[in-house]
Amino acid sequence: MGVNLSDVQGFILRGYAMPVGRCVGLTVRGPEAARTLLGSLVSDDPRVPRITSAQPWEVKPDCCVNLGITFPGLAALGVPPEAQASFPVEYREGAIRRAALVGDVGESAPAHWLSWLADPGLHLVVTLFAQSWDALESTTKHLARAWSAGCVELGRQDAAVLPGNVAHFGYRDGFSQPTIADVPPAGLPDPLPPAPPGEFLLGYPSQFKNFTYPVPQPEVLGRNGSFAALRILEQDVDAFAEFLRQQAAATGMSEELIAAKLCGRWRNGTPLVLSPDTDSPDHPIPLEQMNYFDYVGEYGDEKGYRCPIGSHIRRMNPRGSRVAGQGGHLHRIVRRGLPYGPPYDPTQPRDGQPRGLLGLFIGVSLRDQFEFLMSHWANDGTFAPGLGRTNDPVMGAQLSGPRTFTIPRPSGPVVLHGLARFVTTKGGAYCFLPSISAIRYLAALA
Amino acid sequence: MSQPQSQPVQNPLTLVMRAKSPEDFAALRQRVEHLMSLPPDQNPVTVALNKIGTVHFARFAFLDNDQLAVITTYDGDFEVYINEFTDEIGEVFDAILSHVENAPPLPVQTYRKEFLDYIRAHDLRCVGTFYSAYPDRTVLDILESAPA
Repeated sequence: MGVNLSDVQGFILRGYAMPVGRCVGLTVRGPEAARTLLGSLVSDDPRVPRITSAQPWEVKPDCCVNLGITFPGLAALGVPPEAQASFPVEYREGAIRRAALVGDVGESAPAHWLSWLADPGLHLVVTLFAQSWDALESTTKHLARAWSAGCVELGRQDAAVLPGNVAHFGYRDGFSQPTIADVPPAGLPDPLPPAPPGEFLLGYPSQFKNFTYPVPQPEVLGRNGSFAALRILEQDVDAFAEFLRQQAAATGMSEELIAAKLCGRWRNGTPLVLSPDTDSPDHPIPLEQMNYFDYVGEYGDEKGYRCPIGSHIRRMNPRGSRVAGQGGHLHRIVRRGLPYGPPYDPTQPRDGQPRGLLGLFIGVSLRDQFEFLMSHWANDGTFAPGLGRTNDPVMGAQLSGPRTFTIPRPSGPVVLHGLARFVTTKGGAYCFLPSISAIRYLAALA
Repeated sequence: MSQPQSQPVQNPLTLVMRAKSPEDFAALRQRVEHLMSLPPDQNPVTVALNKIGTVHFARFAFLDNDQLAVITTYDGDFEVYINEFTDEIGEVFDAILSHVENAPPLPVQTYRKEFLDYIRAHDLRCVGTFYSAYPDRTVLDILESAPA
C-alpha cells in the first residue's frame, strides 16, 4: 500500500533541515473566512503560500508551511459533532487536560504556560521553517494577510539553529529519527526494524500486529493525517552546567563524560555504545553510522556499561534493550524542532535569557507515542531493569523518585545524586495534522 | 507517573470468564489443559510471558464447572503494555474468548480497545489493599539481579 506523498504534510515524513522556524497560534473568529484561508493554503493562489507536502523537492523551497488543528479548532471550523467524536480521546482532551499525565505539573503546569498556549481559543497552529529570516518574515507576512480575515493571532514562538547545530545543553541533536517503510528515507540509517507508515500516518497498518489505528471520520478527514504534540520546553542551562560541575567534583569523572553518560551520546553526537571512552575515536565514526547501533546482540551493552540504561537516548529509544513489554521499537516518535534563545555563554551565567526548544513530537497516536514516552519512559523507570522510579536525567520532571542517575560499571555503579528539573514546559498543544485532502474537505464545510 | 508511587509496582489480575454453554466449557477445558501441558518452549503462553517480561506469576483455574479464571500478578497498569500483551498473546485469547459469554469482538488484536474494556469489566481485582512482599521490584529487576 503506497503512501501518496503529495497528500501528506511534509514534516511528518521528513525534516526540512532549515535554520529558522516559527510557530504561530491562531484563533478562529470568522469560520467562513477561516475555511477560505484553509482552502487558499492548498490552492494555486499565488498570493498565499502553500502547505508543504511530503512530495520530494526538485528545488528546495525558501520556506515550508504546515498546519496543525487543535480539537477546539475542529469545532471552530464547523466540523460536525459526530466527526469530532471520532477523534481519539487524548486529542479531544488536549494538552492542558492531559498535562499531569506527561509531567507538566508544578512549574510546568498549564497555569504557568505562555498565555497563547494556555488559551482555550487556540485553534490553529501554523508552523514555518525557512532558509533565512527574510524568507520567514516574507512568508509570514503573506500568510498573515490571508489569515487576518478569519483569524486572530494569539501568539508565536520563533526558533533558530545554534552554532554547531547543538541544542542548549551543548549536544548535537537530531541524529535519531524513525526509519519509515515505503517512503523516501529521510534520516540516518539504523539497524532497527523499519516503522510501518501506520505508526505515523492514519489509515495504514500500525506497528502493532493486525491493528490499524481508527481513522477519524469521514475518511477524507482522517486518512493520511497524523498528530503532533507541540512543546515549548525551556532549558535551565545554568542548572545543568552546575550539575555537571558538582558531579565531576564528586565523582572525579570529567564533566564531558558525565554529560555523555546522562545523554547516551557525547556532546558531538558520538554514541557511547560505539565509543565509550572518547568523543573522537581514532577511527572516526562516519555520519551515516551515528545512528547505526543497538544496545544488545553484537553491540553487547545489555548491562549499560557503555551507555547507561537510564540515559536519555536509551530511555527514549531503547532499541532492542530489555524493557517491559519488550516493545523497545514500538513507541517511536518523529521529532521536529529548533532551539530558541541565544547561545549560552558560560562566562556570562544567569543572564536571564529564555532558552529552550520549540519541538513537535509526531506520531499516529499521542497516547501510545508522545504520552507513553513521557509518562512511562521519561518520568518513571520501572520499564527497565534496575531503574526503579528514576526519571530521564536530562528532561525528566524529577517530581518524585530518588532524583538519582546510575552509571553502571563492571566494578560497581557510580550514582549521581541531586538531579533537578532542567527542562520546564512553557506550553503545549495537541494538534491534528490533516492531509492535504482533509484541508480541502475542511475548506468546503458549510 | 504511571501510578501512585507509594503503591506496589505490581498489580493483580483476576479475570473470570463464564463459558457460553456446557459444550463450550468442555472445549475450553480441553484447550486450556492441552495448552498448559505443553513443554514451556512450545507453550505460546509461556513463550509470550517470557518475552513480555511484566508478569510475575500466571495460572489458569476452572471455577464451578462453568468458568475459567486467569490469575496473574503483573507490573504497572494493565493498559500500559496492553499493545505488547495483545501482540504476543492475542491468539490465545481469541481461542478462549470464542467460548465465553459477552466476549468482545475478535480477533482481539484488531479490536484492542474492546479487549481492554472486556478485561477491565471481568477483572475481580482484589478486596482492599494488594499485598506484595517486594513492592518495588519488577520482573525485570528480579531477573536482572538473580544469580545466573
